[in-house]
Amino acid sequence: MRRRGPALLLAVLLAGCAAPAPRPAGPAVELGDTPFFAQTAYRCGPAAAATVLSAASLPATPDELAPATYLPARRGTLQAELLASIRRRGGLPFVIAPDPAALQAELLAGRPVLVLQNLGLEQLPVWHYAVVIGVTPESNRVLLRSGTEPRHRMNWQRFMQTWDLAERWGLIVLRPGELPADPDPIRFLRASAALESVGLLDAAQASYAAALERWPAHPLALLGLANVAYARGDYRDAASRYRQLLAREPSNAIARNNLAETLVALGCPDAALNEIERALDLPAPAGALRAALEETRRQIVAAPREDGRHRAGCRR
Amino acid sequence: MRNRLFRELVCMVAAIGVVAATAVQPAAAAFVGTEQALAAAENATMARDDLSGWIARDDVRAQLVGLGVDPAEAAARVAALTDAELAEIGHHLDSLPAGGNVLALLGAVFVVLLVLDLVGVIDIFSRT
Repeated sequence: MRRRGPALLLAVLLAGCAAPAPRPAGPAVELGDTPFFAQTAYRCGPAAAATVLSAASLPATPDELAPATYLPARRGTLQAELLASIRRRGGLPFVIAPDPAALQAELLAGRPVLVLQNLGLEQLPVWHYAVVIGVTPESNRVLLRSGTEPRHRMNWQRFMQTWDLAERWGLIVLRPGELPADPDPIRFLRASAALESVGLLDAAQASYAAALERWPAHPLALLGLANVAYARGDYRDAASRYRQLLAREPSNAIARNNLAETLVALGCPDAALNEIERALDLPAPAGALRAALEETRRQIVAAPREDGRHRAGCRR
Repeated sequence: MRNRLFRELVCMVAAIGVVAATAVQPAAAAFVGTEQALAAAENATMARDDLSGWIARDDVRAQLVGLGVDPAEAAARVAALTDAELAEIGHHLDSLPAGGNVLALLGAVFVVLLVLDLVGVIDIFSRT
């Protein structure tokens, strides 16, 4: 009777395991040129980041990345800080769709994929970063640069189990201006907007420009380029880009709000007021967007009025 | 008459109070960045809608320093985070995965994991 204890526990734990994932599809691929950095204690994060950065021709070593990523008291690295450290090294970290097909598509495009794995259990997580460098469907294996192993061969189903427990989180490193295999513009623009948010304007601009080539006239890519111009203080360029977007989408309240901000910066509060009133008249704006529009209006009203010298320059 | 005067006085004091209260709050940024525009496009409300989600960069920097990060480096690390990433760390730091292959586990738990590893359910103790 006493002996049944461990067996019972094992049965309970095994029952928690989902049905095995199907075998991988598609052709075999192995990115054998991917560099390898053996991790030192708890530093799989910087090692994995150095691997994908170097593979994207942005040289980095784990020792260089550790001060920007390692959390001593947690003995590990947060996902957000991995993303941030890749941006700081000049890369564009792109979080792939949580899908093995997306992972394989990037491998086939020649890009290794940094993945988060939970090597333990849902309730007893053992978080680990590794880099997928290949998949061999005929032998049902995933190939990884992992820990101290340069070519860790892992059973596909077991890999999927560890990846599922980490919500299938994975990223690739793109050089600014480079596009992923993923056909979803929003996913790419989100990655590009993060560059803008932290003030990496050259990289953001290159990414938005690449997005516009692939998805012509995409309103969020046009907005991104205009916002970068504004952030640079290049207000004339910004105004003309917002107007270009508004010619296509007159009801774009965000573009009109930012155009109004730009006109204030150009010393044209009357024109700005006109734009913000039009934005506030739109039916859609609610919540924080309306609050932003109203704040813009307050700022415009508080701004010094146009004098004769300015007024001429304010006419389009 | 006196009653009316009193009411007006109360209204005025209240109005001043409201103005003063708004004045000390951080002004809502009026410029809308592309990150917020994307959030608006996806959720129909902007990310900043949730004021309780707002978190100061300094608070997160202090959290990182508390976890052993060098203060100067912590400032640079926080500056490289987007608002969304900052909020995620600020609010959920304790529950976020920190990849490090940590086995901060003892006794029975360790044995259970070792058994599961040997029978091939999990893969912590990597073997070549």
